[in-house]
Parts: sequence; structure tokens; C-alpha cells
Amino acid sequence: MPRFHFGHWVESAVSWLQTHLSWLFDIINTVLSGAYDGVGDVLRGPSPLLMAGILAVIAWWLRGLLPAVLAFAGLALVDSFGLWDRAMSTLALVLVASLITLLLAVPLGIWAARSRAVSGALRPVLDVMQTMPAFVYLLPGVMFFSIGPLPGLIATIVFSMPPGVRMTELGIRQVDGELVEAAKAFGTTPRDTLTRVQLPLALPTIMAGVNQVIMLALSMVVIAGMAGAGGLGEAVYAAVTQVDIGGGVESGIAVVVLAVYLDRMTGALNQRVSPLGRRALAKSAATTARAAFLRYRPGTAVATVGVVVLALVAGGMSIAGNGGKESVAAGKNVGGGKQVRLGYFPWDEAVASTYLWQNILEDRGYKPDVKQLDPGPLYTALAQGQMDVQLDSWLPTTHKQYMDRYKDRLTDLGSWYGPTSLELTVPSYVKGIDSLEDLKGKGDLFGGKIVGIESSAGMMGTLNDKVLKEYGLDGEYKVVSSSTSAMLAELDRAVKKKEPIVTTLWSPHWAYGAHDLKKLKDPKGAWGKGEQIHAVGKKDFEKDFPRIAEWLKNFKMSEKDLSSLEVELKNGGKGKEKESARRWLDAHPGLEDKLAPVSA
Amino acid sequence: MPYAYGRARGPIPHRSTFRHVGGAGASLRSTREVYVSRLHAEHLFKVFGKRPEAAVERLKSGASREELRADGTTAAVIDASFEVEAGQIFVVMGLSGSGKSTLLRMLNGLLEPTAGRVLYDGQDLTALAPRELREVRSRHISMVFQHFALFPHRSVLENAAYGLEVQGVARKEREERAAEALELAGLGGWETSWPDELSGGMQQRVGLARALATDADLLLMDESFSALDPLIRRDMQDQLLDLQTRLKKTIVFITHDLNEAMRLGDRIAVMRDGRVVQNGTAEDILVRPANDYVASFIQDVDRSRVLTAGSIMDAPTAPGSADEVLAAAPATVEADTPVHELFTPFSHSDLPVAVTDERGVLTGVVTRDRLLAALGDEPKAQDAVKAPAVAPVVPAAAQAKEVPAGA
Repeated sequence: MPRFHFGHWVESAVSWLQTHLSWLFDIINTVLSGAYDGVGDVLRGPSPLLMAGILAVIAWWLRGLLPAVLAFAGLALVDSFGLWDRAMSTLALVLVASLITLLLAVPLGIWAARSRAVSGALRPVLDVMQTMPAFVYLLPGVMFFSIGPLPGLIATIVFSMPPGVRMTELGIRQVDGELVEAAKAFGTTPRDTLTRVQLPLALPTIMAGVNQVIMLALSMVVIAGMAGAGGLGEAVYAAVTQVDIGGGVESGIAVVVLAVYLDRMTGALNQRVSPLGRRALAKSAATTARAAFLRYRPGTAVATVGVVVLALVAGGMSIAGNGGKESVAAGKNVGGGKQVRLGYFPWDEAVASTYLWQNILEDRGYKPDVKQLDPGPLYTALAQGQMDVQLDSWLPTTHKQYMDRYKDRLTDLGSWYGPTSLELTVPSYVKGIDSLEDLKGKGDLFGGKIVGIESSAGMMGTLNDKVLKEYGLDGEYKVVSSSTSAMLAELDRAVKKKEPIVTTLWSPHWAYGAHDLKKLKDPKGAWGKGEQIHAVGKKDFEKDFPRIAEWLKNFKMSEKDLSSLEVELKNGGKGKEKESARRWLDAHPGLEDKLAPVSA
Repeated sequence: MPYAYGRARGPIPHRSTFRHVGGAGASLRSTREVYVSRLHAEHLFKVFGKRPEAAVERLKSGASREELRADGTTAAVIDASFEVEAGQIFVVMGLSGSGKSTLLRMLNGLLEPTAGRVLYDGQDLTALAPRELREVRSRHISMVFQHFALFPHRSVLENAAYGLEVQGVARKEREERAAEALELAGLGGWETSWPDELSGGMQQRVGLARALATDADLLLMDESFSALDPLIRRDMQDQLLDLQTRLKKTIVFITHDLNEAMRLGDRIAVMRDGRVVQNGTAEDILVRPANDYVASFIQDVDRSRVLTAGSIMDAPTAPGSADEVLAAAPATVEADTPVHELFTPFSHSDLPVAVTDERGVLTGVVTRDRLLAALGDEPKAQDAVKAPAVAPVVPAAAQAKEVPAGA
């Protein structure tokens, strides 16, 4: 069987599209980003509790008093987690994605219902859309639309479209053939048959499809968060990669609150928009008469008035609340408000150094814009000039593939930390084991287990193929692969119980700041030489930001400083990285002027 | 008086016999004065499957339905021709799969005939553009369905007003007219109810009201009463006949129920395997079944309720004058009296029963022997009961032609 270079063709196609159809992507980008930003601004505009009130009134209209109270409580909880803005961004993403999905899906479904050929042609396409892993088109999405909400939006639309199309088609096909015939027999035009008979009767099924679309869209927010869509997805993703269990649960709950709210509201929407639904509602209201006030629902007009009043109050408050803005210390404003886009992936030293520099650059009068991304999208964005700089490039090994791929389109700003090292680590309370050689014969102590990270990680290969063999440990120890976060959780658990444990770890890592750990010495040099952490900018970074380039080239950090900064951030909690970095910076007076000197 | 099977109504003195045009919206074409039947099906074929036209050619040159089926094409209707006079109830009867519903749907263009023409008031419906055909359906032909086909998302009134809504009649007017139609169908006062709150019979009354509301002259009824309980079905049949005496619509009624066909139909077409095997009055079919199939079909019919005195009477021969016969007869009946009404007179007399016309003039007599012979004869194809000596049964349509308008 000859190799079928399908992937290669796709890559060529993507790059061709990138060069020849960029105007089209720019238009799509403008329209969709505009919609997303607009909706997001509206949702984030009012103060959180006021917005929660508006959403609760909608719940009252659609479902009654008790659901409204629960909705308000749930949304207030999200606010108390400090996740309000993120939740509203996610809500905006879901609403815009769902709306666009439905604008495409419903007509397609109608078309498919009227033509067997269309239906047959659409089915495999929908299957692909539904099952193709989202990551596969997230990256091309980034290439076409740059990082930000767009790739996530596109991925969400692609993923959530199939049930919208299918349920519309199903709903229309389900309408009793005799009814359609009756409409025709009375001389109804095909268009009127659709709007007067088929669509009204298909509406309950279509609304079930709408509900599915919204739920699937919400389930995509975490993945969208990896491509810079922000919102709760980013919070969940960051929390998971940093083993921030509390933060993860909080943002998870916020997702659930939104999901339940949207699910119940769209479920009930059917009762308001479809004639059959309204009838069922009236019927059930007539048969059960208990606790009338609980089941009272304001009419559409009353609910609209309520929402408008709350929205006006919100508008008034936001005008009144627009006071002064903090200003930058005079004399140190060399940035002149120029925007600089910093990207990072959720590796601890990347988070720490990025937020440190965000504070510093703000003090110097720049407008740093910080965004979290996965490594792939981030390098792509840098190469395309959609990002200005990132600080966590592990060279020459770990990120070699990206540097090779985009070598002419990136600027290496030099190393600020190094050498990094890979090692096996034990807690300090495990006495008598200081070197890899000491592990031999101690297998029973550790249960014959070395707690590893992702099996795909380079260091896992090195460990199995080289390190264990060199020190004759391969029969005695078994490397358990899991994930970085699971390894850290396991380490945390062992340290709390003072149990012996040996794990893979690397420096720099906040675990060295958080726990008292010993790096096992490697006298035979089996781990190989360490790497350097570089700052890497886009191609024209030195031209666009000569001062920052200068500062970053001279930027150096010790392992002790970096670990303490990482621990400070970790203790500060999710969503407070900037404040934590500020606190750390304040605790190290003079450092700022050293890192970013301003010649007067 | 309860309706008898196969009431032979008198000839219908209707304007369609010699067509006077210009009546309230009755005509599609404004200047026709020639005689046409209201609805005329000419050599209709409907073939489903590949290359239907070729299949029609094969059917015309004598291929059987089974030969076509072997090639994967289905001939649903084969060479069906008939005429329906204005004001008539024309029943198409057949078992399921005989093609009767397909035939009905070609009459209003829901299905396009593979070959043949449908003439309505002389206008060829098969030649109309889709838009014109919709116009005809919305104003001149309406339809009542087997399973009612009421729109569940519309109230009873909105359902009844549907056809008017399609016509573009303003809301106030269409609701008034729909309410009138509901009143006619016996559902006054249920306007604000919803279809699923009504029983089957009431739902079909809504279906009927919807068909009546548009003032369409031609009603197509597709097994409209088949889904109802026997008692309700009988009620609805009575109601339809009652409405028909007042409204004089032209009705094509599909059924698989022979008794219903006999009861409702002025004329009955029996279909089998896509072909019309016999077309005549109820009595025709009963007395002279065209073939064994029809004969076996009518085996179980109560002949005494279909045969009329006129169809079995003998010429009034001696002894005695007409007046003597009349005086002696145990009863005097008219020609359209069903023979079961003769049992009682014969139970206490041996003398013949006299049959008179509307003016009381003696036209024939029925003897007890003749009656028993007529009832006892199993009708067979070809050698059916001998034709009555005097008055051969004349199809209603033929009668209508013979009698001048207004007679």
C-alpha cells in the first residue's frame, strides 16, 4: 500500500487558502469578532448582580418564579467566584456561535428535508463535523483567523451544527404526510406549506435541536479556551494544567451553572414560541391549580418591560461609574500606551515570567495584552505577527520543531534562564537517597514505582531508554505514566503523608518552591545537558519594540527567584496572577529598575 | 323516513344539463354554453417507477400489470375513464391497492397522470401550470381525508377557515364563513376548541366544514368515513346525504365499503387492480355484475334493500283494467321503492302490488313469484337476472339526458 499523502495536500491547501483568500477570512473575522465583542460588551456591561437579575427575569418569563430564584442564586455564585467576566465571555461565545450555527443549520435542514439528494450528501459531511476531533481544525483556524475567540467560535460552530441540521430535517420529515397533502389540496404554495404547516409542527423538534446546539457549543468552550477564546474555558484549562484543583472546580461549576441555565431556558422556549407548546402549557396550567403564585409567569410584554428597565438602570450606572483612570508614574512612561501582545502557554515559568513582565511593562507605560494559548497556536501566531512575544521557549530541544518550522519568521531574544534540568526527585525526608545510584536496591521502599508524566513527553523516553539502563534500575522500577497534573497531585499527597516517593520533575518548577525536595544527582550524565529558556518575538519585534527587546535580551532569573515567584502566583490563586506578580515585585525592591532600566 | 340504499332520486334538473353560465362563481370559463359533464376523466394512467411513459405504451398494447411489476414499475391506475354529472355523488369502490386513492389524487392534480386528461367544467386540469392548478384547488375543488388531516396547531375555526385563508379572504369574512360551514357540518359552538379535544366523528365534521367553507363545487372524499365507528359512520353518511339535498355539490367519494357505496352513490365505479371494471348505478351492479369479481363482491349485499320495485316489475297485463288492478292491489308503490317494503303487503295477499309513476298512473305490477325469483337469483356475470320485461334500468345519467331540464 503506497503512502497516501493526504495530510500533505491538506497542508498545501491550507497555505494556499491563507495566501489567496486572506481577504475572505478577514471579512469573516471582522464580522464574527464584531458580533462576539458586541454581545460580550452588552453582557459584561451591567454590574454582575444586575445582569444576573436580567437573566433571572428571563427565567421567570420562561419557567416561573422558582427557576428564576435558582438562576439568580447560581449566577450570583459565579460572581462570588470572581468568574463573572469570564462567564459572560463564555456566554457571548456560546450565544454568537449558536446563533450563527442556527442561521446555517435550519435552512440546511429544510433543504435536506425537501431533497433526498441533499440529505444524502449532507449526512457524511455532518458525520465528519461531529466526530473529527476539534483540535484538528483548531490549528488551521488559528492560521486563518489568528488566535482569539475566532478559531474557538469556528470550532464550536462546526461541532454544534450537525444536531441543528439533523433535528430540523427530522422535524419536517416527521410532519404527517396527510397534513402536507391537505395543505396542497387546498392550493397552498410550497412556501406557505413550509411556513404554515411544516415549520410550526416541526418546531418542537427543531427547538430540541436548538437546545442540543447550545449544549454542544458550551461543551466546546474548554477546547476553545486553548486557542485563546478566553472565558471559562481558559480558566478551566489553566487550572487543570496547574493542578489548581479548587480553581478548576470553581470554573467547572460556573460552566455547569451556565449550562443548566441555557438548557432549561431553551427547553422552555419551545413552550413560548410554538403554537403546540403554548397549547400544552395552557392545558397543564388549567389542570393543576396549586400554588398559583409559584407558577405565575409574566407575559411576554411584562417580561420585556422588566428586562428593559433593568438594562436602563445598568446603562445609567455604567455612565455614572466611569470615573478617572490610574496613571503611570511620570518619567517612566516610555511606552506611550503602545499595545504589546504577550502570549503564554500554561507552563508555570511561562505564567510567572509573563505576568511579571506584564506588571513591569504597565509601569513603563505600555499596554500589555496577555493571552494564554497552547504552544502550537502560539508559535503560529508569533510567526504570523498576531502575537508580539512569548517568554517560554525551551531550546535547543523541546521547541525545536516550532523554531525550525518558523525560523525566518521569529526573533530569538536570547535566554533568560538556564540551564534547565530533567531529574528524578524525592522529598528531602527520604533519607539516604541523594543520587540515582542510591536508588538501586531500594525498589521496595518506593513500591517499585517511579511516578512519571505524559508518556508522550520527551523526558519519559529518556528515562526509560537511557537513565534506568545506565543505573541498572530497569528491572527494579516501573515508570508509571500519567499526566503532569496527576504526578504533582500524587507528589502532594505523598508529601502530606510523609510517604516515600520518586517522581520525574524538571527545573525550574514551582514544586521546588512549594515542597522540600531533593534532585537526585546524575553522575553519569544520563539525562543529557539541560536546555535554556528563551524569549522569542515575532519577526519585527526588535523594530517595533526596541526598548522591550533590549530589556528582554538582558533579562536573567535565578532558580530561587523563579521558584518563589511561581509559588507566590500559585498561592495567590487563579485569576489573581497579575496581583500576585505585583506583590512579588513589590517584595523585591529595585528589581524592576534593574530589569527594565529607564535612562532618564 | 330512513334513507334506503340506492335511492334513485329523480333526474336532477340542474343547470349543468344545459349549461347556463354566469351563476355565482360556478364556472371556470365564462362563455361556454355547450353540454359537458362536470368532471370527466379520460383514459387516465398512473404508473410509478422508471420510464412510466414506456410502461403506459406497453399497457395500451396489452401488457398486464404483473408483467410491469416484474420490471419494477407499478401501474396504479390503468385506463380509467368516467364522467361525473353536476350534483351527483360518484363513488369509486375497490379494495385497498386497487388504485382508487391514486385515481382521486389525479382529479385535483395532487398526482400528475402519466397519461390521459382530467376535464373539469371542460377545462383540462392536466394542462395547467402549477400556479393555475393551485388556484383551481383553492377555489373549485376541495378534499376530505381519511384520517381527517386537521392541523393540530390550529383551532377548529382556524382549521375550517384554512381554505379561505389560502384564498386570501380577510380574517373577519373568513371566520364568518368558516363558522357557517361548521354550523352546516353540525359543529356550531365548537369554534374555539382544538382538534385533539374532539371525537373522530366531530373531527371529520371539521374536515367536512373545511371543505365546504371554500364554496368549492367539487368535493373529493377519500375514504372519509372509513376511520369512524359504524354508528358514527352511518350518522355521517346521513348528514352527507342531507347536506347534498341542500347544497347539490358534485362529489367523488372513495370507499372500500360496498354498503357505503350503495347507500351514497348515484353511480358507482368498481375498481380492481387499477382498472375500472364496472361503472353503473347500484342496481346495475347488483343485477348485472360485469364479471365474477364484481359478482363475488356483491354476494353479501342485502338485495332487498337495493332492488327497487321498478327494476323487477312486469307490464300490467290482463286481467282487468288499470283501475281494477290498482283497486285490487294490496299496496301501491312507486318505481324507486325498495323491494323489502313489499314483504308486508305480500304477507296477507296473493295479488300483485301495483307500481305507479308520480302522477299515480299504473306503470307495472310486481307479483309474489317475481319478487321471490328476483331475490333468489344469485347474480352471475354474463347470465345475470333476465332484464326486467318493461322498464330496463336506465343509468341515472342517461335518464338525466332524456328528461328535459325542469321536468
